[in-house]
Amino acid sequence: MSQQAPQEIGQLSFGLMDPEEYREMSATKIITADTYDDDGFPIDMGLMDPRLGVIDPGLECKTCGKHSGSCNGHFGHIELAAPVIHVGFAKLIRRLLRGTCRECAKLCLTEDEKREFIDNLDRTRALGQDLNDVTKSAIRQARKKDRCPHCSEPQYDIQHEKPTTYYEVQQVLSSEYSDMIAEAMEPGEDSERVTPTELAEETGIDAGRIQEILSGEFRPREEDRKAIESALDVDLTEEDMNKLMPSDIRDWFEAIPDEDIEVLGINSDRSRPEWMILTVLPVPPVTARPSITLDNGQRSEDDLTHKLVDIIRINQRFMENREAGAPQLIIEDLWELLQYHVTTFMDNEISGTPPARHRSGRPLKTLSQRLKGKEGRFRGSLSGKRVNFSARTVISPDPTLSLNEVGVPDRVAKEMTQTMNVNERNLDEARRYVSNGPEAHPGANYVRRADGRRLKVTEKNCEELAEKVEPGWEVSRHLIDGDIVIFNRQPSLHRMSIMAHEVVVMPYKTFRLNTVVCPPYNADFDGDEMNMHALQNEEARAEARVLMRVQEQMLSPRFGENILGAIQDHVTATYLLTNENPHFNETQALDLLRATSIDELPDADGTEDGAEYWTGRTVFSELLPEDLNLEFMSSAGDNVLIENGELVEGTIDEDAVGAFGGEVVDTIAKQYSRTRGRIFINEVSSVAVRTIMHFGFSISIDDESIPPAAQAQVDEAIEEANERVEELIDTYEAGELESLPGRTIDETLEMKIMQTLGQARDSAGDIAEDSFDDDNPAVVMAESGARGSMLNLTQMAGCVGQQAVRGERINRGYENRTLSHFEENDLSADAHGFVEHSYREGLNPKEFFFHAMGGREGLVDTAVRTSKSGYLQRRLINALSELETQYDGTVRDTSDTVVQFEFGEDGTSPVEVSSSEDEAAVDVEEIADRVMESEFADENEKDEFLGETREPTNLSEHADDWWLAQSDD
Amino acid sequence: MVDVSNHTLVPDHNLLEEGELEEVLEEYNIQKTDLPKIKRTDPALTKEAEVGDVVKIVRDSRTTDEAVVYRLVVE
Repeated sequence: MSQQAPQEIGQLSFGLMDPEEYREMSATKIITADTYDDDGFPIDMGLMDPRLGVIDPGLECKTCGKHSGSCNGHFGHIELAAPVIHVGFAKLIRRLLRGTCRECAKLCLTEDEKREFIDNLDRTRALGQDLNDVTKSAIRQARKKDRCPHCSEPQYDIQHEKPTTYYEVQQVLSSEYSDMIAEAMEPGEDSERVTPTELAEETGIDAGRIQEILSGEFRPREEDRKAIESALDVDLTEEDMNKLMPSDIRDWFEAIPDEDIEVLGINSDRSRPEWMILTVLPVPPVTARPSITLDNGQRSEDDLTHKLVDIIRINQRFMENREAGAPQLIIEDLWELLQYHVTTFMDNEISGTPPARHRSGRPLKTLSQRLKGKEGRFRGSLSGKRVNFSARTVISPDPTLSLNEVGVPDRVAKEMTQTMNVNERNLDEARRYVSNGPEAHPGANYVRRADGRRLKVTEKNCEELAEKVEPGWEVSRHLIDGDIVIFNRQPSLHRMSIMAHEVVVMPYKTFRLNTVVCPPYNADFDGDEMNMHALQNEEARAEARVLMRVQEQMLSPRFGENILGAIQDHVTATYLLTNENPHFNETQALDLLRATSIDELPDADGTEDGAEYWTGRTVFSELLPEDLNLEFMSSAGDNVLIENGELVEGTIDEDAVGAFGGEVVDTIAKQYSRTRGRIFINEVSSVAVRTIMHFGFSISIDDESIPPAAQAQVDEAIEEANERVEELIDTYEAGELESLPGRTIDETLEMKIMQTLGQARDSAGDIAEDSFDDDNPAVVMAESGARGSMLNLTQMAGCVGQQAVRGERINRGYENRTLSHFEENDLSADAHGFVEHSYREGLNPKEFFFHAMGGREGLVDTAVRTSKSGYLQRRLINALSELETQYDGTVRDTSDTVVQFEFGEDGTSPVEVSSSEDEAAVDVEEIADRVMESEFADENEKDEFLGETREPTNLSEHADDWWLAQSDD
Repeated sequence: MVDVSNHTLVPDHNLLEEGELEEVLEEYNIQKTDLPKIKRTDPALTKEAEVGDVVKIVRDSRTTDEAVVYRLVVE
């Protein structure tokens, strides 16, 4: 526990830091690069000075007196021998150099311009837009000026050599000026020779001086140079790169007036531009760069410490050399080295600078690397961290669980605990858990006594401890059946990726879930793992139960329909149960309904061979609410009619009970309740499992074989298509093919061939389809929507069809042909990836290769799509994460800017609104009727409210006064 | 030139009077600058719209018949 009371943060201010502030907050000045002395004690004024905080347990901090753990550490400082540039501000420094006068340091803008930019800044700030746009344009305008508007000093261009070098580019007289003048005086193509006297006359310079200039004895002054330049039409200047040392820049910035930096959006109360040039370097406390003692007793220092050692060493050498009066060249070299070390101390991943490396060759992890990126401080340690009370393991299916439940392995349940506040009423229960100890299942791992001491429950002390438990204690008991936990599968792409489940403790090592919750999690059981989090307080548990439980998430806000529902085998089974409406005897019917809450059969549908029978639809109807009325088209194509909870006609398939918008499930969840919906889905899946076991369902290669006659027909259809393609090619080669509008002849041919082959595959599929019975398993699955499509069946039994890469027939491979097995420029179907066999027949080697080419493209596409959409999702979430719907119905961001005036522009939840296009989104009449229905006891009361009052007929005349008073209201 | 404001898919953009604007700001308890923005150059705006004006946009809505949005005209 921390001794400090929690403190509220009053305000944060961002800005530059005054070097004086660095010195003030510093616990010590650091002057020596050594860390520990020979005895292993930290050296005073060294990098591990004990005043910088403590990391070794047992020691006391020399600054604050606290021990390791409670002392946060204290900054030190290094006095830099010469100023260096802070890399993080390199761009801002460049801007200031370009925008301010080299002589008077004022911003090169007139007072009017300044005022305009300040107004513009205020406006932009009020609108919450990017201030950078304004400051950038201010600099751009200042840079345009050739001369400072205040002191008329000519301005030069500033060049920035990344990361931290700045040059002033000046135009100066070329060293070869005399030769250049002489050359320009020579006769040209259209000019005569200029004599020195003529030149002197034209420029107004003394003739003797001209001679001196021509001989190179006298350097012309600027006005003379310009005169000569205009007279002879030559350029006598060259560029001179004048390097700006950090100290020069610091002096420059110190002279910038406060009111000028305001124009650039810098708050002059808090920040001064010269602070971007460091004269003092803060040394992070040791707690931020702890050294580790290795097994062999050697100390290993943190990367930051290594970097600081480098800085101090160079700093010292710099000072020594300067005092010794070393030549300017050496000083400049050392200065650059110091700059390099300070730069890499802050950021070791700057382009153009070699990263500072560890002895092993590994680049050092310095300040910026600690913060940046996925594993950095922000994304890795603050927005996301590791948590207690969580578990992760493989998932497996269990159809006997309710969809609200999750099977938790007992060894997980024993590790994960829930806190029980012991009182008179649960005392016995709590004692029982404690006495079971930590190893037996419903046991306890810890207790907390009323005085706040935490005791571990062990096998040895559990019996003894159990007797001591009394009201006011807290018991950390194991997870038991009925506890609520949060369950999650990554990637968490929508809110149904994290839902609350009720615990069912089970043996073995996997989490078990009902298969109907696979769609929202997008889970399967090929090795998927999922995470579980045990909730640690009563509010969290209550919220999870009310808001996050699986049944509450039944309707997806994405499309406003149910996302839970029957899947795969369940759909097949309900189809088998209701499509041909089979008959069941009493035993069979009871067996189907065995796992549901129905324990009595309805009246039999009739008798057959002296025995009563029940139809499949009757059995299914038992699961429906008594008063459900519904009519819709099924995906099998027939009309489904439900009247008063009885399935009168139609097939129950994917469109009726499936996940992703099954009509019956959707209607029950919306019209009745989520609880009724959950019961319905659970019971449908139970009945479906019994049904599919009753009928039996399997699929094999023989189910896709077609009779020889049909096969012959398929072959014929393909042969015919091949012939038609040949014909097309012949026409094309004869130059008789007419191009389609907007296409070339080649494109037209390709299109026509593709079209012909597409038709061939379809007709092959149709022929194959005709030879399948309605009870063919593949047909049943495709028809019911359980799995697969008619196209899959076509490919299995008829013909696989044209393979495509990038939407065209396969065209790549060798020069002018796809494979060496074909002749060049062969345009025929089989040379460009038409697979005429079916999967059942098998593909020949050429076909197989083309098929692999098409298949590969699909795989690459999925891989690219997932990574692209993942990043898109991240950006979208970051952009929208701070939007919140307020109590007044508006959607606003954190700065209270309105984003929507009404949530979704209509204030309705997609889940509560009808999703179909043709009916009204909100059926007001229906809602009004329902409200009236529940509001009034009987029709009379309702009519009275609606104003259709009936005249009282049995009143005596003596009651007239009362009657008049009544009607006055 | 096509005048997009006559297109069926472009909702009505009407300038708000001073009094109406105050009502709106009062209703949502906001400053003018907290409103969503629209560029002055937006082709749906009328010629009279100037920077600092607020437009009222009335869209057809399947659920609420009309969805009203106010936007501040900016540069």
